[in-house]
Amino acid sequence: MCRFRTSSARPSPHIGARADTFRNVAQFRLQGSKVLAVDLAGDTVKARNGSMVAYTGQMGFKKLTGGGDGLRGMVTRRLTGERMEVMEVRGQGTCYFADKATEINLVRLNGETLFVESDNLLCTEATLRTGTSFTGLNGMAGGNGLFTTKVEGQGWAAVTSNGPAVILRVTQGLPLRVDPGAYIAHTGNLNRALKSGAGWTTLIGEGGGEAMQVEFTGEGLVYVQPSERLTFGGDA
Amino acid sequence: MAFTLINHKMVSAQVFPGRRILSQRGAMLGYTGEVTFRPNLMGGQGGVMSMIGRRVANEDTPLMTVEGHGTVMFGHGGHHVHVIDLAGDTLYVEADRLLAFEDSLQQSTMFMGQQGGLMGVVRGQVTGQGLFTTQLSGKGAVAVMAHGGVVELPISPGLPVHVDPQAYVAHRGQVTNKLSSALGWRDMIGRGSGEAFQLELSGHGMVYVQASEVKL
Amino acid sequence: MTYPPILQTPGGEGPQIWDPHTLPVNDNVNPYCFSVNLNGAYYLQKGKMIAYYGEMRFSGIGRGVLDRVLEQNFNSPLHASDWVVAEGRGTLLLADRAYDLNSYDLEDGNLTVRSGNLLAFEPTLRLKQSIIPGFLTLIGTGKFVAASNGPVHFVEPPVRVDPQALVGWADCPAPCHHYDHSYLHGVLGGIRHLTGIGGASGEEHQFEFIGAGQVLMQSSETVLAEKSVGVVGEQSAVPHQQPTQAAPGLGNLRDLGRQFGL
Repeated sequence: MCRFRTSSARPSPHIGARADTFRNVAQFRLQGSKVLAVDLAGDTVKARNGSMVAYTGQMGFKKLTGGGDGLRGMVTRRLTGERMEVMEVRGQGTCYFADKATEINLVRLNGETLFVESDNLLCTEATLRTGTSFTGLNGMAGGNGLFTTKVEGQGWAAVTSNGPAVILRVTQGLPLRVDPGAYIAHTGNLNRALKSGAGWTTLIGEGGGEAMQVEFTGEGLVYVQPSERLTFGGDA
Repeated sequence: MAFTLINHKMVSAQVFPGRRILSQRGAMLGYTGEVTFRPNLMGGQGGVMSMIGRRVANEDTPLMTVEGHGTVMFGHGGHHVHVIDLAGDTLYVEADRLLAFEDSLQQSTMFMGQQGGLMGVVRGQVTGQGLFTTQLSGKGAVAVMAHGGVVELPISPGLPVHVDPQAYVAHRGQVTNKLSSALGWRDMIGRGSGEAFQLELSGHGMVYVQASEVKL
Repeated sequence: MTYPPILQTPGGEGPQIWDPHTLPVNDNVNPYCFSVNLNGAYYLQKGKMIAYYGEMRFSGIGRGVLDRVLEQNFNSPLHASDWVVAEGRGTLLLADRAYDLNSYDLEDGNLTVRSGNLLAFEPTLRLKQSIIPGFLTLIGTGKFVAASNGPVHFVEPPVRVDPQALVGWADCPAPCHHYDHSYLHGVLGGIRHLTGIGGASGEEHQFEFIGAGQVLMQSSETVLAEKSVGVVGEQSAVPHQQPTQAAPGLGNLRDLGRQFGL
């Protein structure tokens, strides 16, 4: 009586995208889809505190205490009270990073700007600058805004997503609305606005952030993850 | 190999007279055929008192003996399952990472505190995994669990691998391990980077690391 | 036209960029994300929408607003408050905790699914509560989407399944309980009863399926029993904090109660 359809093909697990082979600086590559390998030759990367899972060679780890090149933006981002901390990794060898079994997406910046949910920024080359941008909702208290980390400059960054990211294109006349808990990043020339979900009014007060949506208009790409931060237990 | 991957979170195994499986309790997902599950109070070898001793030492993995005639499916908590085939060598694995293994393997418990002296003792506290590690040797297959799947990193002479104790799953080969610190003591206290302690594995072999710093 | 920079998602063939014209129609975008081509109404579990294009509104269920409409679909009052109805036109993306999603087409059939795993269904289907607690039965013709922890594994009866690993079943009769008596009784059962060693593991109780049909399985939902990880965290890694633990054989005394099942 029933016809079953199974999911479309799963991405093969062990294809690593080799990033940047021509510069003698930190090289980012994937080991499987959930482990980031960074080859260091005496240079430095910044990574989410505690995200190292293994290394070979000589490595030093230093916690960054904010300040400096805009990192304070990440360190002091306060939406829910938890602290996003960053460490500096310097050394010779290969350092492996992972974050709670999330998928890792690599991005190469050549002067463009990447906006990324700060919980999802795993690792950046030292050459990149990071800061914070904020989108508020008119008339709402501060807690209802959306803080996003801005990454700019030349170099590689690694962005995590719980489940493989889905990339959605936004063009003129085709706006996109996303659940704030599923948003991970965007690029391009986009405007963001927090909207209270039309018709969700009956649910306001129930928490869970369901009453909010982020509307993107303009031209660009939006990355969403197939899960919601608020229901993801490990992401406290 | 006794285990067949159904998907990345489930394995199945055939049992029949002459092939028994030992599995962690709660790991059985379902079965067809006539299969019985017997709590293995002996923990493989060593008798009841040894088992209790191991429980006190926080190496408590009450095992089930799975026997009969049929197909049994194993998995646990949505963790990734990784099957390791042993051909006469030895696998060192934390007991709570073990999902199931063939009865043909010799099982013993190793006191890790002996390796690395004081730091070895500290290791038990850092990893929260106790001072004992399960050792499986012989010919047979082992199914281990990991959060987010495992990455295999080779260990070769002169190229030791440092592993976050929380992400360590298992290792095999002629490997010595010790706890190392990448930082001075002052850095470890109060304002560490979260990477204060690492397991240093050196020698010749392989270490299995999971894609997560969340301990199972 | 592309918009650099583009994140390289793991998987190999290069990133796929979707828009309303290229997104699959009522099909999986990837194993973890499902795209619904909305033209009318669709029922979905609260909080499972991750993004949408187009014009649509979401209304809560079970609050008296739409009760007349709902009577046709919801014969399951206990679960109604977990649901919203999406109405309008556009493309709606669903996901759930990065679980694997599958869609199922029922043709005048019935399928019973764990209530937490049912994500969305077409209004042509009727939803009822199964006689097995925690399960819902879908009846009729139409499509629904369900999540599973890892891909769904289909097994044909006869099979005995750990209740935690059961996603649902189709066409075959509702399961019965199976208790392993040799496990529960006898010398070993007695020791277990007295000491707690061995414990209740789930291996002594299964759901048994017989007859013709399909049983849907997943990796179990439970996480491992809580273990003491000590007090040594990343900030307080002071080795001398718990010197007694270093004595072999003593171990973690606080765990004793739990380990002996007290």
